[in-house]
Amino acid sequence: MSVITIDRLCKIYDANYVLKYISLSFEAGQIIGYIGPNGAGKSTTIKILTGIIGDFEGDVTVLGMDVRKDSLAIKQKIGYIPENAALYDVLTPVEYLDFVGRLYGMEKQIIHKKSTELLHLFDLGSKMDQRMSGFSKGMRQKVLLISGLMHNPEIIFLDEPLSGLDANAVILVKEILAQLKKAGKTIFYSSHIMDVVEKLSDRIVIINKGEVIADGTFESLQQQASSGSLENIFTTLTGNQEHESTAGAFISVINN
Amino acid sequence: MEKILLRLVYLFRPLISGRGIDFEKMLVIVDTKLKMDQRRVYMNWRQGKRKENSNHLMIALFFYGFMGFVMGSIIYLIDNFLTIMIFTHAYILFMMAMILITDFSSVLLDTTDNQVILPRPVSSKTLFMARLIHILIYLFQFTMAIAAGSVLFTFLKYGMITGIAFVFTTVLTVLLAVFLTYFLYLAILHISNEQRIREIITYFQIFMMVFFTIGLQVLPRLLNVIDVRQVVDLKGYMYALPPVWMALTVDAFRLMQFDSVHIVMMVLSFLIPGSGFWILFKYLAPGFAKRITALQGTSNKTIGEEKNFGKIERGSLSDRIAEIACNTPAEKGSFGFTWKVTGRDRNFRMQFYPGLAYILIFFFIFVIRGGKSIAENWQQLPETNNYLWLIYLSMLSVSSSLTIVAYNDSYAASWIYHSTPVKKPGEIILGMIKSLFIKYFIPVYIVLFLIALNIWGIKVADDFVFGFFSNMLCFLVLAVLSDHYLPFSRQPDTKQQAGRFFVIMIQFLLVGALVGLHYVLISRPLLLYAVIPLLILGIVIILRTLRALPWSKIAI
Repeated sequence: MSVITIDRLCKIYDANYVLKYISLSFEAGQIIGYIGPNGAGKSTTIKILTGIIGDFEGDVTVLGMDVRKDSLAIKQKIGYIPENAALYDVLTPVEYLDFVGRLYGMEKQIIHKKSTELLHLFDLGSKMDQRMSGFSKGMRQKVLLISGLMHNPEIIFLDEPLSGLDANAVILVKEILAQLKKAGKTIFYSSHIMDVVEKLSDRIVIINKGEVIADGTFESLQQQASSGSLENIFTTLTGNQEHESTAGAFISVINN
Repeated sequence: MEKILLRLVYLFRPLISGRGIDFEKMLVIVDTKLKMDQRRVYMNWRQGKRKENSNHLMIALFFYGFMGFVMGSIIYLIDNFLTIMIFTHAYILFMMAMILITDFSSVLLDTTDNQVILPRPVSSKTLFMARLIHILIYLFQFTMAIAAGSVLFTFLKYGMITGIAFVFTTVLTVLLAVFLTYFLYLAILHISNEQRIREIITYFQIFMMVFFTIGLQVLPRLLNVIDVRQVVDLKGYMYALPPVWMALTVDAFRLMQFDSVHIVMMVLSFLIPGSGFWILFKYLAPGFAKRITALQGTSNKTIGEEKNFGKIERGSLSDRIAEIACNTPAEKGSFGFTWKVTGRDRNFRMQFYPGLAYILIFFFIFVIRGGKSIAENWQQLPETNNYLWLIYLSMLSVSSSLTIVAYNDSYAASWIYHSTPVKKPGEIILGMIKSLFIKYFIPVYIVLFLIALNIWGIKVADDFVFGFFSNMLCFLVLAVLSDHYLPFSRQPDTKQQAGRFFVIMIQFLLVGALVGLHYVLISRPLLLYAVIPLLILGIVIILRTLRALPWSKIAI
């Protein structure tokens, strides 16, 4: 059964197409890597799927529900971890998680139990009652991860989840994602870090200028682009092959 | 406090619940927002020590409450009802608008809500209601603080009916302030972008701080000058001012006199805020929310780029001055860098500009001092030598830039000084000092010179020429004897190093000696010009010393 279906999705901003007739559907229990250059429409897609933007053309269903009509019911069953570490940093992690948890309708005691345990697992136990304004990007990211997963969602949307995390935390988060997948959850994941996407994803979707330009497993993409790593596939497909000449020009300017 | 307010919200539960609003979730949002309000650093209270656990909101409320109480006591002390009422309503309107613009703007313009709350299962109606209630609680708290004193004294002196009328006009005045603020934001948003709005808010905040500093120092002095007891006689244009409508409305109930003037004023005081609010809800609020959302992300990139391109072509003002004022590339770089960052960094401006207000305050205290009335002093001013104060006042406040310039939020970026092959950090310090002197001292000095010229005539010119060199020497003395920090390299809120008392005393003595010397030589042009070469010698020596500063003398 497909948990996400996107049918001829279009999004227009200021008379420009951000997304052009995108049609995709995803099965449960997969890790989906969603990649593309800056401004390709990744974040917009995720915002539409999570019901944050309701103003678009086409049909989108998540867990069998229409995102326009049932956005509240969908939001209850999904988790969203945004990229730019936006949270209320005058609160402490415990207070913030309590706030978010209650917006999901969770009981105070359950939130408290879960959040303290999860914070300890993320090595934030000692910082639990400090305000987050002094937190590093990685620490904030950990709190955001907990806030998006605490209510045990069916689908997890992550926008650049690994940015700012140290190497150990990256390994930990990758393992968490892998185990979530084993538990039957669907993970929709956008990132710039190609080798992580390459290793983690069951299916990779590349978009460029609002259009899907590649879709399939890593192996099938390799065949399609007839080149080695995902990085190479990416540059081949997004048509950005002037890197070498740009780099050459760069060097020659330095030498002047 | 929070708990009481929330319980108050509970009373309205039957009114709020239903129609797509989840009361429990709404309460959670309001609760969190109130908690955050307490922790937000209130813009007007920046100077003080920041303690994480202190309740900033309570401190602010207490301060406004105290001021409100003092204002209110005037109602009790002075009998001219109409004048006092106009004054009080004007005060409430002004304070409320200022608070809304300077403090509440951060709440109104905050887009974090969109990212934190929108992905959660909260309906837009619930969120809207939470925001509305949060705003109402905010207004309620500050209205109480500002107006409670006045309300109390009105009840005490004029009885129930007048008191109740006054409560109503207070609410109407607050509504008017909300409407005006909203309208101001909308107008600014319409013609420009978020960046600009934050700029403008910064200037309002600076204005607010200047207003408080001056107000607290000067108002008591003015009080015995302006006769508050005299009757305002209302002229035609005054009927256009909202505080006058409000005052006359209360007046109507006090006198129980409903003639045509009172009736018209009553209608105006209900109609204008009422219809303003109706317009706000019906037409402005939806557009406002949309605009705020649109502000996110796609800010003013294009505008910024265009601006900078033009600048590079022409060579900015600071670059051109640097060519004249500085010698080595490092010095020029530091000069331009200091010039630009001081102009753009919000914290620098917030800390520095209010200091300039002290020039005005000291002008009142020292130049026009004396027990007699201000008008009398003003007339006698040309016969005094008080312009000496003017000459050295600029130094007093501009010198603060020397310490402020060391601090910056992105202090970590100062690694650049250490990773580049800077042989003599003195050049950087020198460029910075020159930049501050030229950018902040010279304009202020010219303005003060023009003022002095106006009051005392051409005879002050010689003293101002001498004063220029003398001030420059003072500035350099302060700079050379302070700890040397590279520009924008210190973390804000770090403590000043201890054991600096001795150095400060020496600075004080040297500056005092220079001012004293000037005092002795005052209005003796020949002697003044004879000493100037000595001052220049001192200046050159200090410039050399600064330029030669080695790394070992740089404080980190």
